[in-house]
Amino acid sequence: MNITQDIQYVGVNDHEIDLFEGQYDVPNGMAYNSYAIIDEKIAIMDTVDARFGEEWLKNIEMALQGRVPDYLVVQHMEPDHSANITTFAKAYPNAKIVSSAKAFVMMKNFFGNDFADRQIVVGEGITLSLGKHELTFVTAPMVHWPEVIVTYDSADKVLFSADGFGKFGALDADEDWACEARRYYIGIVGKYGAQVQALLKKAAGLDIQIICPLHGPILTENLGYYLHLYNTWSSYGVESEGIVIAYTSVYGNTKKAVMRLADLLREKGCPKVTVNDLARCDMAEAVEDAFRYGKLVLATTTYNGEIFPFMREFIHHLTERNFQNRTVAFIENGSWAPMATRVMKGLLEKSKNLIFTEATVRLLSAMNSESEAQLEALADELCKEYK
Amino acid sequence: MSKYVCDVCGWTYDEAAGAPDEGIAPGTKFSDLPNDFVCPVCGVGKDQFSAAQ
Repeated sequence: MNITQDIQYVGVNDHEIDLFEGQYDVPNGMAYNSYAIIDEKIAIMDTVDARFGEEWLKNIEMALQGRVPDYLVVQHMEPDHSANITTFAKAYPNAKIVSSAKAFVMMKNFFGNDFADRQIVVGEGITLSLGKHELTFVTAPMVHWPEVIVTYDSADKVLFSADGFGKFGALDADEDWACEARRYYIGIVGKYGAQVQALLKKAAGLDIQIICPLHGPILTENLGYYLHLYNTWSSYGVESEGIVIAYTSVYGNTKKAVMRLADLLREKGCPKVTVNDLARCDMAEAVEDAFRYGKLVLATTTYNGEIFPFMREFIHHLTERNFQNRTVAFIENGSWAPMATRVMKGLLEKSKNLIFTEATVRLLSAMNSESEAQLEALADELCKEYK
Repeated sequence: MSKYVCDVCGWTYDEAAGAPDEGIAPGTKFSDLPNDFVCPVCGVGKDQFSAAQ
């Protein structure tokens, strides 16, 4: 696949993987992207997952038509991109390995070898000329690992963006970009909004026509759309107006209250209501929704003097990703000593700029006229601005 | 008042500003930070900080 006249795709699709990075469900597989920049000198951009070394080397061979690469640029050391560095080094013994100083330390730790006799250490603003194409390296610390660099090719105006602008799903999957890119971003990079913002500021100074990420499709059109989404996500802004209800229910009583609230919210004009049963949904989807919409309702039972485990896990996923700038409401259930709201508020204590609604809902086992009135009051408060 | 930079991720500890989010008051010397202080961005310990140039 040609991306430009001189840049070819040499990555692979993975439809075998069950859990990406050991935790993310990827129903449409994954792509590990790699690129060949073919000029007077030839650079390969990153390697692929361990299981695809042979296929990747074949792709390179096909793309280069008898020539051999001069450089392997390693932008990111996570094994889904770095696992075949040693394979490459053996196949092309004269090629140099180009990467950041921190990445070479990681190479030694991962593979027992930092290729000392053939390494080129690059840092912020360092350039590498391939002939017509001059690569400029830009450091992207903690997006989302410390050693990350991204690479700009001024000849074709291409940004090789490492994991930035990546997405779940193999390249042959026919699906919307934003949904799986958001789940990928919030899940994997979400904590590092400040660092992504810093990188976006650096990128703003470049004339970028094409973005080549390490996962997901190559972005060639309407780049403003993708940049705008990344700016929203990394600044923890609200992408879509609406309310997410995340709940757990042991015997169905909390669920009944949640369904009643969802109906009330729709009746009162909420533009979008999303309901997630945390015990049964894809947790990463529920987390993604919480970061997408402006308001979140947490509904759970008091359990072992605590809260139900799926809710604890969910809130932990939020706080570790710097959840902030949202309105949050609580529904608690407890048959003798309800304390779930207190526990949930405590877990969110350190999160910045959260507004807790005045109305809260307390169920004593099941809905009654009192809790029904509380649901009504909560729905009114949440929907005030939608009227 | 000096600044110290995390060797791993580049986060800067500014003694003058402290780190209010981590419960460190403005004016706290780097040497007076608790031994279990970690970089709030990447999590490495005090031994992986260097004085800013």
